[in-house]
Formats: sequence, C-alpha cells, structure tokens
Amino acid sequence: MNAIQAEELCYTYEDGTVALDHVSFAAQKGKITGILGANGAGKSTLFLSLNGVITPKSGRVLLGGEPVRYDKKGLTELRRRVGIVFQDPDDQLFSADVYRDVSFGGVNLGLPPEEVRRRVEEALERTGVSHLRDKPTHALSYGQKKRAAIAGVLVMEPEVLILDEPTAGLDPQGVSDIMRLLLQLRDELGMTVLIATHDMDIVPLYCDYACLLGGGKVLTQGTPEELFAHPEALRANHLRLPRIAHLMEVLRDVDGLDADRSVATIGAARREILRMLKEEEP
Amino acid sequence: MGTDRYAYQSRLRRVSPMPKLLLTAVTLVVCLCCDSVAVGLFTLVGMGVLVTALGGLSPRVYLHFLKIPLVFLAVGCITIVAGSYPAGTEMVAALPVGDRLWGFTAGGLWLGGRIFCKALGTIGCMYFLALNTPVTDLTMALEKLHVPRLLVELMELIYRFIFVLSETAANIRTAQDSRLGYQGFRRSVSSLGMLASMVFLRAWRKADRIYTALESRGYTGSLATLTDAYRPGWGLLPLTALAAAGQMAVWFVEGRLLP
Repeated sequence: MNAIQAEELCYTYEDGTVALDHVSFAAQKGKITGILGANGAGKSTLFLSLNGVITPKSGRVLLGGEPVRYDKKGLTELRRRVGIVFQDPDDQLFSADVYRDVSFGGVNLGLPPEEVRRRVEEALERTGVSHLRDKPTHALSYGQKKRAAIAGVLVMEPEVLILDEPTAGLDPQGVSDIMRLLLQLRDELGMTVLIATHDMDIVPLYCDYACLLGGGKVLTQGTPEELFAHPEALRANHLRLPRIAHLMEVLRDVDGLDADRSVATIGAARREILRMLKEEEP
Repeated sequence: MGTDRYAYQSRLRRVSPMPKLLLTAVTLVVCLCCDSVAVGLFTLVGMGVLVTALGGLSPRVYLHFLKIPLVFLAVGCITIVAGSYPAGTEMVAALPVGDRLWGFTAGGLWLGGRIFCKALGTIGCMYFLALNTPVTDLTMALEKLHVPRLLVELMELIYRFIFVLSETAANIRTAQDSRLGYQGFRRSVSSLGMLASMVFLRAWRKADRIYTALESRGYTGSLATLTDAYRPGWGLLPLTALAAAGQMAVWFVEGRLLP
C-alpha cells in the first residue's frame, strides 16, 4: 500500500527554474525509499511539496490514498502526518534548549502537556539524545544536533518521515547510527521513511526502494538492485554505482566473470564470489 | 555568554527560574535603595557565597567574572570623583590648574565609594541570576510574567542564532585568513567588510530556511514550547527573605556607627 504518493507534480520557482516536471512516484507504507539525484535534481522541492510547505503548481499529493487539501486544516493534518528533517540541523533547531526544541511540534499539535512530555521523553530516548537534555543546543556536536532534529520531528508521531541528506557531514559511525535508527523506526513503528541522498553506498544496505530523480523528473524507480542494473542512468545523473556493485561490474565486463549485476553489498558480494570460486574448482 | 556555560552546570539549573528571579530582584532593589558602602559589599559577598555554596561554582570563577565589570566601574567612578573646584575648597588631594583646583574632595570620594559599592552589589545579584539560570529558562520566566510574546520569542531566536552566526563569521574569517586576507591594514579592512556583508547575506538566507523548517513542524505564528520539569525551589524563598533581612541589618548597623 502507498503511504504517500505524488501525481504529476509540477513546480517552478519565481526565477523560472523548473524544479518539478510532472513528478509521479509512490512510497510504500512501512518501507524505506531512497530518492537519488544529483544536486539540484529537485529532491528538496519534492520533499517540501510532500509536506505542504510548497504548494505544487499542478498535480496532487495523495496521503494514504486521500488527496491533500491545502486549506489550514488540511495543511495541519498533512504536517502532523508527514515530518521533514532538514539537511542542516542548525536550520531546524531554533531553541537553545534541546528539550524545548523537541517539544515544539507536539505543542503545535495542541496536545495536552502530559502527552507532549511523554512523547518528548520517548523521542529523546529513541534518538539517543536523552543525556543531552541539560546541554544548550550550541554545545552539541553536528551528529548530536542531527539526532535532536530528528527527535523534534518524531515527537509529532508522523506516519511518513522525510529526511534530506541524513548522512551528509557525519562520520562513518554517525552514518551507521542514523541509518540504524531509521531501520528501527521502520521495523518497530512501521514508519514510512523517505531519504534524499547521493551517498550511494547506503542505498543497497538500508533502502527497500529507490527512485532516481533528474532534472525535475522521475527517471527510474524500483528496488535498489533494479536501479543498479542500469548504471548508465545513474552515471548520466552525476551519480555512481555503490563501490561493491562497481567491483562486480568490473569483474563481469573487464574480467569476463559470471558476476551478478544486482550484487551491491559486502554480504551479497561475498556469497557471489564464493559461488564463482566453487564453480571454477572442478 | 561566558556565564551561560556555567549556568548549565549549576546545581540550581533545574530549579524553576521564578524564585531565582525573585531573589535577584529583591536583593537588587534593597541594595539600590540602601545606597550604602556596607550593604553593597555585603550583597556582593553574600551573592558570592550563594553562587558558590548553592550553585556549586568555584570561587575563582566568580572572582574572575567580577574582574570584567570592575574595570568599567573603576573608570566610571574615577570620572565621578575627580573634578575641578574653585580655589580655596577643602580638598583631599588636588593639583592647581590655572585659578582652579583639580582633584578629590572628601564628599566626592564618599559619593564615588557609595556608587562603586552599590554597583558591585547589584552586579553580584545579577551574577547570581546569570550563573544559575540558562537564558532559555529566563525567557520562559519572562513569558510567564506577561512580557510581550513577540519580544520574548525574538530574544530566544536571537540568543540561539548568535552562536550560529558567530560560528559562520569565525569560519569565514578563518577562510579569509588562510588566504592572507588579514595582512596589512587596507586588506584587513576590505576583508572585514566582505565578512560583514557575507554574514548578513547568510543570515538572510538562513532566516528563510528556518522559517520553512518551523512551518513544516506546524508553526502558526508562535513559538510555544514546553520546558523540562523544574524543581519548584521553595527553599529559595526563605533565603530571599533572609538575604534582604541581612542587607537591612547591615544598613541599620552602618547608620548607627556612622553619624
């Protein structure tokens, strides 16, 4: 089932830049979908329109099968159900107090204070920043700010969580921590997660589906393996294969080995190489 | 801003800002009204004891923070105390310049001393607040005291983004410096000008992005938030009374001893 769906979305900025050109795509409920695209491919505009910050010039957004209305009530509803975590946490954390910042979305929903507090505690716990509540925002590291920003969105208990470049600027440990958090949200809460990224190596590991965006259009979509089977499309859009998939491509095309194109993770590559070795033996 | 770092480590950090604000306000008003050397010094020392004993700040840090305003105070008081008087005035120390005397009179010294000590006392009061209360708690308290929302929200945003902007400025400055942007006076001035305009532009763009981010979290014109639970801090109320009583007692005794 589709949690959120875009149909023929079009958006042009005031300066004439066409950001979205008849974009149609769907994100399945309880799955992680990666939106891949180079800088300026329209990822951020798409995300803003999915949350109602941007009203598309034409086309529509369907949330749980229902078209989104852009009146005050419809927008409040949309923003409650679809949360965005922005790329730069400094754009999102407006309060010098972590606890207060996280509570903001909950208060805006008009929930009773006890319920907001319960949700804040849960969000702080889940994102692992509970111990930072006594620190001012400006004393946090970049990764900690990012987690606090995610907590600030989780507090609204959205059905769809959208993250713009969640791994940008993080160290490898930070990347795997954040991505594992997203897996947890998917598995434990059944949350639908959308991530914009050009960090290709995380795609086969964490994404269930992927969608290639270029020049404001959806170029291909499918499972990561399906996308990696057509490296030309990725390369034409300033992206690349994950390192492992690239290795497999070289083994296949340069060395003439019978390597599977869709292999993109270390685990799958290991199995594939062992299989090829076994076939060589006799 | 230096004080804020210590406020977050204070043992009174989790105490509701209201009683802290009350203690500060009461002692400050009493100190100002008594207008006496002894009360000023008593307040300064008393606040020092409260900050170190209750808040857990090291006395060295407290003294360090006193050094900064001390310089301003000293300069300010000297300009009040020193003056020119007509020849024949009774002076403590003076230099004749033309037909007038430049120097200090006994009355002037007393006045300067009183202002100096009174100001020191009020600084002590303010430090009690600043070293135990993070700015965000303070703004929350102001909101409860019905200070206009707009003003309070502006204070909060400005406070938060001072740090973001100063980081931006520091980064730009490093980038300029690494390309020799600050060698020589002329180049420094032009680099600094560029830095200022860049910081302004970035702030402008940032404001846009912050607005978008707030909107996506359901912002409808007010930055309403909840704070983490406070301890009520009732214990500070009798302490406030005690401090004020101490100040009054010192004032009374001083009045008796000095005619």
